[in-house]
Amino acid sequence: MAPGLQRFTDIAADGAPRLDAADGEELVRVDRAASVALGRRSPEPPGTLFVTTRRVIWLSEVEKGKGYAVDFLDITLHAVSRDLEAYPSPCLYTQIEAEVGTDEEAGESNPEANDELELSRVSEVRIILGDPAQLEALFDVFCHCAELNPDPNAERHGENGWFNGEDMTDVGWVHGDEDMVDENVPQFFNANPIGQNGGFDLSHSVFELQINDQRFEDAEEEQESHENGD
Amino acid sequence: MLFFSYFKELVGKEVTVELKNDLAIRGTLHSVDQYLNIKLENTRVVDQDKYPHMLSVRNCFIRGSVVRYVLLPQDGVDIDILHDATRREARGG
Repeated sequence: MAPGLQRFTDIAADGAPRLDAADGEELVRVDRAASVALGRRSPEPPGTLFVTTRRVIWLSEVEKGKGYAVDFLDITLHAVSRDLEAYPSPCLYTQIEAEVGTDEEAGESNPEANDELELSRVSEVRIILGDPAQLEALFDVFCHCAELNPDPNAERHGENGWFNGEDMTDVGWVHGDEDMVDENVPQFFNANPIGQNGGFDLSHSVFELQINDQRFEDAEEEQESHENGD
Repeated sequence: MLFFSYFKELVGKEVTVELKNDLAIRGTLHSVDQYLNIKLENTRVVDQDKYPHMLSVRNCFIRGSVVRYVLLPQDGVDIDILHDATRREARGG
């Protein structure tokens, strides 16, 4: 089970978090005057946000030794929120993998109880920066670091990098099965205009199907609830 | 690979991403990566009564491992081609 949000106390004398350098963890970004709001609790007094290649760490400036950390593996969603109706401050909204049986109001029911169990039930964290103009940059850093931390059992579906339709010259085709010859190549695989396919032989545009893809299992398990949900 | 290739074709189109925690987010598909991490733009939560705090965000990153379904635009699906492609993959795989 994912640990979700955790207490963090491994702080060096200079006030910075001790990273797991042996495991290749590196600091990516630091934001001073950053606050976090756990669940529905009010924002903490400002502290410092440390984004590393592996996790996000926030340390309080007011209360020395107090801090929280969450692995990128457990950050399931992040978004820049500027809708002041949704939340009074612009923030980076994140959803955290929380313990099963999460009470969405875990932070509200007992705000003073900061034990590990309470923390592990926090499913939402908002990060409020002193300079809200930095939220987009922080968003991009989160995207980058999320990609550095794929799930251990994740399968790759193509080449590195994002596909956003802007670079049509190399769409990362897999040329796996040389024996596969089929003139009837599906149109939607052919992102390049005819005759400008980068010299690739379309007959080799064959893709590997992972029969044991976990998504298929999920679909079966949750078929019922989905149908009910509709 | 089929999914990745297929989702790439949907960039720029409106999709609805349903998460395993039941949250459903609608938005324009901005990009998708090899782990099927998804970036949406101009998003809105489908069930706004249940998730008022996520009323609208400009851009949103969703971890591929928490995606349950991606609901596609009707014109984004060519059943015959998809059927053919999945069959081809099953044979080739």
